Amino acid sequence: MVEIRFHGRGGQGTVMATILLAKAFFRDGYQVQSFPLFGVERRGAPVEAYLRLDQTEILIRTNVYTPDHVVVLDQTLLESIDVTVGLKKSGWILINRPSPPANLDSFSDYRLAVVDATHIALKNRLGTRTQPIVNTAVMGSLARVLGIPSMGAISEAIREEIPRQPKANIKAAETAYKEVQMLEVVER
Amino acid sequence: MATQQPLTNPSPLLIPCSYLTTEGNKTGSWRFLRPKYEEKTSPCSAACPAGEDIGRVEMLTAQGSFKEAWETILLENPFPGVCGRVCYHPCEQQCNRREFDEPVAIHILERFLADTASRYELKPSLQKLESKRQKIAVVGSGPSGLAAGYFLTLLGYQADVFEALPEPGGVLRWGIPLYRLPLSILNQEIAQIRELGVQIHCGKSISQELLRGGKSEYDAIFLGCGHSRSLPLKIPGEDLDGVKNGLQFLTKIRRGEVADLEGTAAVIGGGNTAVDTARSAARLGAKVILIYRRRRQDMPAFAEEVEMALEEGVELWELQAPVKIAAQDGDFVVTLRHMQVVEKNRQKRARIKPDSNKKKEIRVQHLFKAIGGEASEPWYDPPKKKRGMLRLSDCVLLHKSREPTLVYGGDLVADIKSVAHAVASGKQAAIALDILFNEGLDAVRPKLQTCLVGDGPSISLETYMSGPRSLRNHRVVRYHDLNTDYFQFAPMITQPRLLREERFQSFAEINLKIGASLAIREAERCFNCGLCNQCDNCQLFCPEIAVTRDNNPRGRHINYDYCKGCGLCVVECPRNAMILEEELLCDRS
Amino acid sequence: MRQVLEGSHAVSEAVRLARAQVISAYPITPQTHIVEQLSEYCANGTLDARFLRVESEHSALAALIGAASSGVRTFTATSSQGLALMHELLHWASGARLPIVMAEVNRAMAPGWNIWADQTDSLAQRDTGWIQLYCENGQEVLDTTIQAFRLAEWVNLPVMVNLDAFFLSHTYEPVDVPDQKSVDRFLPPYKPRFQLDLANPCAFNQLAPPNIYMEMRHNIQMAMDEALTFLEQMEEEFESILGRRHGAVEAIQCDDAEIILITSGTVTSTSRQVVAELREKGEKVGLLKIKLFRPFPVNMLRERTASASKVAVIDRNFSFGASGIFAQEVKAALCNFPGHPPVYSYIAGLGGRDITMEVIENIYWLTKKSTAPENESSWVGLREVDHAVGQS
Repeated sequence: MVEIRFHGRGGQGTVMATILLAKAFFRDGYQVQSFPLFGVERRGAPVEAYLRLDQTEILIRTNVYTPDHVVVLDQTLLESIDVTVGLKKSGWILINRPSPPANLDSFSDYRLAVVDATHIALKNRLGTRTQPIVNTAVMGSLARVLGIPSMGAISEAIREEIPRQPKANIKAAETAYKEVQMLEVVER
Repeated sequence: MATQQPLTNPSPLLIPCSYLTTEGNKTGSWRFLRPKYEEKTSPCSAACPAGEDIGRVEMLTAQGSFKEAWETILLENPFPGVCGRVCYHPCEQQCNRREFDEPVAIHILERFLADTASRYELKPSLQKLESKRQKIAVVGSGPSGLAAGYFLTLLGYQADVFEALPEPGGVLRWGIPLYRLPLSILNQEIAQIRELGVQIHCGKSISQELLRGGKSEYDAIFLGCGHSRSLPLKIPGEDLDGVKNGLQFLTKIRRGEVADLEGTAAVIGGGNTAVDTARSAARLGAKVILIYRRRRQDMPAFAEEVEMALEEGVELWELQAPVKIAAQDGDFVVTLRHMQVVEKNRQKRARIKPDSNKKKEIRVQHLFKAIGGEASEPWYDPPKKKRGMLRLSDCVLLHKSREPTLVYGGDLVADIKSVAHAVASGKQAAIALDILFNEGLDAVRPKLQTCLVGDGPSISLETYMSGPRSLRNHRVVRYHDLNTDYFQFAPMITQPRLLREERFQSFAEINLKIGASLAIREAERCFNCGLCNQCDNCQLFCPEIAVTRDNNPRGRHINYDYCKGCGLCVVECPRNAMILEEELLCDRS
Repeated sequence: MRQVLEGSHAVSEAVRLARAQVISAYPITPQTHIVEQLSEYCANGTLDARFLRVESEHSALAALIGAASSGVRTFTATSSQGLALMHELLHWASGARLPIVMAEVNRAMAPGWNIWADQTDSLAQRDTGWIQLYCENGQEVLDTTIQAFRLAEWVNLPVMVNLDAFFLSHTYEPVDVPDQKSVDRFLPPYKPRFQLDLANPCAFNQLAPPNIYMEMRHNIQMAMDEALTFLEQMEEEFESILGRRHGAVEAIQCDDAEIILITSGTVTSTSRQVVAELREKGEKVGLLKIKLFRPFPVNMLRERTASASKVAVIDRNFSFGASGIFAQEVKAALCNFPGHPPVYSYIAGLGGRDITMEVIENIYWLTKKSTAPENESSWVGLREVDHAVGQS
């Protein structure tokens, strides 16, 4: 079973990203389970959501404590919360930011990937200038990082679930798939 | 588990079910509070000096019954066309809708009804009471005199109106500029008063002799001569040749005796005559300065008129008191002293005093005095105190044995000099005389109390004549008495007006007509406070189906055999046209 | 068709497929998604039903009592405080024998204000005469909601379908949404056995004096008994059409189990995983899921636990001054059964606290180590807290 934790802010589409990914993985034959951190919803507040996937039926219905991978949709969250809590060694951390951070010390046990999802979202006119919707770009980059699910499944999930601007969203996912940078982090 | 026979039918049900009628269960016996239809007084109506039944007028207008709405006004006021235009509409100040969004444009609707009646040449069906033997003379054909004649005629008396000038109307004809009140409207409403049977004798001045002497053919005389002589400024130079009087200036304009004005004109005063003079002078081409010794908010002129004067380019100089007028090369030099406010009082006008000795001079080509007027003959005013004298809210009654009773009305006794108050004065005089003739002097005051609208002071002829309105509770409905859940937000209509630029080209009426659909929409905004408009909420919400529609004038009745007094109907009545009262055992019969 | 669906939407889809005719509800977290979706279906014509917006849960149920009395299929959904507000009318709906179906998202009762999973809200309504069913995953929610209409309409009693807040209501997972034709075959249009009729006016539920009231109550109990039998028969039919059955209770590896864990709701799902892992380690553990709480399946419970030496009930609920509510019911069911196993009661996961695999495993080990239950209930995972008032 693979468990992925998503960090974002209310309004970015974090929960929607886990749902769409669940649907994409399901298309590719996986059993899935996705849910938000159960709490009070507020625009701009930190949001967490989870995704489980497995080849067999998922029975466990608890929160995710030791994710295999972490996805961060808003890099400012790195300043306020430790996104690596419980993250398994060598797990991927995918961060939405323009370029890799200069100091990689805090990520030394993990593998790091960055994608400028905000730029990609703006280029595809997703959301507003102050509030770009970055979730579909992040989905595309995650598909590249993990090697799953297929981009076809992601496009299908977007087409079915997002009534507004499906084409631009698919474009964003595809661009992110190409542009994501995966860094080999030196283990010490 | 043992295998069971498959279930083919569910097992039988046991629930209480009754096909008996519940009519025998007279739930009315549970009642200790009794709902009742009881119409109340709307605040606009109580605020109207003429006591018009505005709530009902708007209800009828909303239903498209324009003639009935117009006649409802005519029961209380012979001048809907005039008042719809020139009244300062204190009704709208008290409109409950003001607390919800914006007040109802009552004056626009009043004017619409009069215009509609005129357009279709409607004749009102007004009932006159049977003829009485008493005859009453009315001195002056201004609004109070005509109203007195009108109401006296409705009450069955013969009223002769005497007017010194060749045409009737008084201040309405000679004092109010055409851009506010076109002549055709005035003529129409005066013609209507004549048609009712009021005799108007023009060109007949009355001497003091009429008031005296036992041989007079009149049982009473109504004096509504108005204030036609302007008050003096009591400063040097005010009598210089060429210094004009505002009211006379307005009269001359109406007679067509005034040519265009060139240069600057100064108008001294803060009342409606001053503002009318200023706006008229502006129309004749002058650059106008309005000089007032207090502040704008202290001006007795109606705020809307001041607003429009400023819009039309009239300059207002506040806190300036003229102290001297001098002539110079055909111009006038007015010396003004700066004033300052001594005491601010929200309710009253500010008290002022000179601001050290600051003065300035202004040179103008035309100068108008308009600081108010007084009666042109001393005997027009009521005497100070006399036996048999009754000071009422809108007139003064002087009853003498073996001589005609005198009633002083209109501006002669009014604090607020408005057309609506003049109508109120004429109405009060007519009703007071009727009471006097029938029941004597002592009955006048108590009987007038019974026909107050709300808490007064305005009174209703309809109530006096025991019309449907007399059944109404005098309690004035306030905003919190209404159930506003049933009303939708809707802005007040905007009065269509001539453009500012168009106003200078003539004395054409500024406010334009509105159409029927707009009028209905505006009338629908009216909450009809305290009145039943047959909305049927009481019937819809009654859990006992105890409210039934029928042919009684209210349209429905409550079946007290089944009404258990829950009060839902009263709570759900949007307009507070019902009450819930404690049931007394003796009521049960 | 299998699709990834939120637990709440599994309810909405079921109500759509059941062709409910009148829906009335007042929104409350975490029930909101259910009625949000249904109101949309009513608005866009997907579902030909009247959606009544009301000012409270009390009114929502009152409206349905009126609607159901006139002979239509009705549905509402609520949670926690909302259910508590309905209390008076819960009795009315069952006493009036109206087959109303309700989705109840199990949420903690306030105060302290808490929107998370806890079953005390619905279990506190156990004596109101409603049939109560507890689900563990989205598929079961969908199937049970469809079945609830059939069951309710057969026995003329209202049915409450319970699902844990968030752990189920807000979780997306694959759910098979059946086609309309199959559902129609299982659930034909509602044929009321009594209804208000303008042509033949009558009054229902007027005075029931002592000489008849007891018989009426007994009649309801008979219907409850019948519900037990009918549920099984109905599930067979459901299985023949849609290929799934869930059971009033489900015994997992109980036959040779020495210790049987008894669970309800989503805890069951996680417990399946725990039991599988413990079995791999050689532990003789079984799991008994109770889905049907009212009527309580006493006989099934006796049979399934007969061979065990201990049973441990995990309750995400609590009856103050007593113990876990399922544990009470299990004890009551077994007490007249000679040689029954001792019943251990564990309280866990109140107010949404996570019942992790570790918590469940811990309960197993605690039970195994113990020779006899030491108290009415053991609270699992209590933290040390400062009890001073006014501090946070």
